Amino acid sequence: MSILSALAHVQAMESMRAVPLTEYRHRRLSGRPLVIVPLAMAGEAGAPLAAMVGSSRRTGTLLVVPQPRNRDQRFAFAAGLGRIVVDYIDSFRHNRRGEDERSLYTDAPQVLVPNPGGVKALADLGRMCRFRSTSGPHAVPDVVPEFGMWLTFLVDRAEQAGTSLLLPVTRMLAEHWATGQSTLEDQNLASLMAWISPPAGLSVEQAMAEAENPDVCPPAGPTTSPEFDNRDLAPAIRRFDTARALGDPRALATAESDLRELIAGQIQPTWRMVWEAISLLRSVREAPQTARRFERDCAAFTRYSDDRDAGGLPQRKRDTAISAARRLSRLERALADFESETAFDDRFVRADRRSAGEAFAGTVVETESGRTVTTAKNRRVPRPRVTVRTEDPVRLVADTRLISPSMPAGHKAVIVSVLPDGDATLVVVEVTGGMGRSVAPKPGTVPELGQSIDYLPDPGWRPEPRFPASDHTPWTHSAGPDGPDIESAVPEDAAAEEWGNDD
Amino acid sequence: MNAPVDERLAALRGSAKRLDYNARSLAALQNNPRCTLRALLDASGSDKAAIAAHAGHPSPFGQSVFALARGNAFETMVKDNGCAELVRVLRETLQLTLPEVGYEDLNNVGGDGRAAVRHDRTAQVLLQAARGDGDGTLFDHPMLRLRVGGHEAFLEPDLVAFRIDGRFHIVEIKSFPILDGQADPTQVRAATTQACAYIIALRDLLARAGIDGQAVSDTVVLVAPKDFTNRPTAAFVDARKQVAALSRQLSRIERIGDLVDLVPEGLTFDLDLDEEQRPRRPAGELTASLDRVLVTYRPDCLNHCEMAFYCRSRARAEASLDVLGPVVREQFGGIDTTTMVMGLAHGELQPSEAQSEMADALRHAARLRAELEGLGGAA
Repeated sequence: MSILSALAHVQAMESMRAVPLTEYRHRRLSGRPLVIVPLAMAGEAGAPLAAMVGSSRRTGTLLVVPQPRNRDQRFAFAAGLGRIVVDYIDSFRHNRRGEDERSLYTDAPQVLVPNPGGVKALADLGRMCRFRSTSGPHAVPDVVPEFGMWLTFLVDRAEQAGTSLLLPVTRMLAEHWATGQSTLEDQNLASLMAWISPPAGLSVEQAMAEAENPDVCPPAGPTTSPEFDNRDLAPAIRRFDTARALGDPRALATAESDLRELIAGQIQPTWRMVWEAISLLRSVREAPQTARRFERDCAAFTRYSDDRDAGGLPQRKRDTAISAARRLSRLERALADFESETAFDDRFVRADRRSAGEAFAGTVVETESGRTVTTAKNRRVPRPRVTVRTEDPVRLVADTRLISPSMPAGHKAVIVSVLPDGDATLVVVEVTGGMGRSVAPKPGTVPELGQSIDYLPDPGWRPEPRFPASDHTPWTHSAGPDGPDIESAVPEDAAAEEWGNDD
Repeated sequence: MNAPVDERLAALRGSAKRLDYNARSLAALQNNPRCTLRALLDASGSDKAAIAAHAGHPSPFGQSVFALARGNAFETMVKDNGCAELVRVLRETLQLTLPEVGYEDLNNVGGDGRAAVRHDRTAQVLLQAARGDGDGTLFDHPMLRLRVGGHEAFLEPDLVAFRIDGRFHIVEIKSFPILDGQADPTQVRAATTQACAYIIALRDLLARAGIDGQAVSDTVVLVAPKDFTNRPTAAFVDARKQVAALSRQLSRIERIGDLVDLVPEGLTFDLDLDEEQRPRRPAGELTASLDRVLVTYRPDCLNHCEMAFYCRSRARAEASLDVLGPVVREQFGGIDTTTMVMGLAHGELQPSEAQSEMADALRHAARLRAELEGLGGAA
């Protein structure tokens, strides 16, 4: 965070309303996203309690596990949710563009959850499902492992900056709006919405107080509020268990519908709020380079989809040394690209970097537009220089490569010198690219006297790092034949997954 | 022990029953050692949840019956039959060569469950073991004492200490899962914090008998469910850093005596409960008492301190930057309130010498934001 974003939060706190942090929305918002609101049972590892899922506000399906500790019911739930999610994903696996192997699907799915906890819940569910066997003593429906693998793919992809296949709406909101509360509280969808768009007739203060009252705003999950658990849910589950133990079909049906009703009451407010957040986010213009990032999402989706078609194995439990290195390198590059792209597109983000001295904007006060140099290959090339006067606290040094959103595409420059000039700074910049092929630069490709111009560092092109093949892993980084690598490829003993200690 | 300090602390607590340090107050101690209000409430054994509720800011830390049931069921299962499952995990997963296992239950002493009695018995048994006498290997629910702010507090660890190769190890039994060899780092950290307090308390006990601290290992054994199953697995957690950090905080923490001296004479957090445990003291009077004590609020407190909502409302009323959290706060080193930030940003306040650099940066940032807002680019 820079002092500028920090100031935005202070402004929000002073004025008691959210203030914009960005000019654009930098995440793609699908025309047909699939919203999932997952609920899990407190204290249990990956024991789903319910989920509401659907791709429009009016067509939400509520799925409930009446007894989350019961293994069969859990996997029946996973199959039900899995069918909806896999059908949704499959609906994007039709239209391809381009030639044979290099062709890509033209669209990709987008799953939205309320908060980061929702991503974690899907990760747990994915882990729980992807190794399940569809035959043998603990067989699960075919869709369960398929669902698990897709979820794992989405969760993995969500780690990468700038992607949009799986996102918590709280993150999208907090990327665009600064509130007068902490990052921790911004993870509460209701509090965040209280700042951005309080319910009609309520002040932000009142809306915030309601957002933290579980009786007015049930938590957006994945865990339900302890009061609800103790007061309502536990007795309802007990009634269900009793009815089942007695084998009384009418009592069972009543108990089950009571449970559904209870859980619906907890989940529906969040469901509505997620859709409200989505329509708020739609009102923010999408940034120009979002489309390019989406292209990469489509490529990743196509690759994984082809892997599924080829019957690929479930993702490993743990990365090997090489895949971990590859993953890290990919994440780092994606983050650097995302930061640079958002700054290029967005004046707000750029201002943020300017206040930190990592970019600058100013006026051209001197130009040397006819300047040329002779290269080592004895070719004369244009190398015009311009001096930019800026009031920004520039911390960039000579030889930094620059790009500029104020110039035509392809414009490249490098810093020659940075000198103080009273309260301001003079930056001498040499234009190195984007001027055409002749000795005289094409008109409009060199900044002109008096022009206002923005510069920021060029993240540059980096070669794809190369890693050793998996059979050439140095011994220091490979696990022996008894090591975890072998074991992790084998699904764990399904029978071990018992849910004892029913109380 | 300092009798007058004890009296002052007892007066702060008033008529209520004394509460001992628990997992949450220990976590609060490690996460926010400098908070005076927290230190006084914890040291006096006051009921923070009841006080916060009466002050109009009930704490949200109800525990779900499901979580409780799961935790208890798991612990019982691990400890059943003289810790049979625990021993299996120690032997199979951690590949420890445990010879004959002796199990000592220190839950009560011949039916006497009083803290002091149990502490004496714990001391007797553990010292015997440390000296190599007696055949105990596993010690269930020992009663330890920890010095916090120059004041002794009883700790009732929900754990087993076991002894192997002449060293004690602390075992933490937790019901969050170890998924594919990894557990949630915040939960591991909280568990380790607890274990650290026990390590320090146990070392303290041995030191008083002249036994070196090395007799207690820095490595904690975490026992938790494996993946999504109910079967336990175990892992070693290196707690060296956290033990050092907690010891430092314990020694650095201002002596409770000094803190008590700063509090106005006659101040109390007493709720004056009636027979039905309803507070009789007017809420306004309680809040006035609380308001006279310094607090150090951080948003993170919302995760572990019962008083957090009260402190947050105070921080909001003071327009304190603490409300926004450390990430925002550290951008404005040396400035405490939003009023000051805005004043400096708009050039309405004269910066002090130390603030002049910050003020320049703020004015620049404010100019940029004004430009952006003028453009009206965002929704």
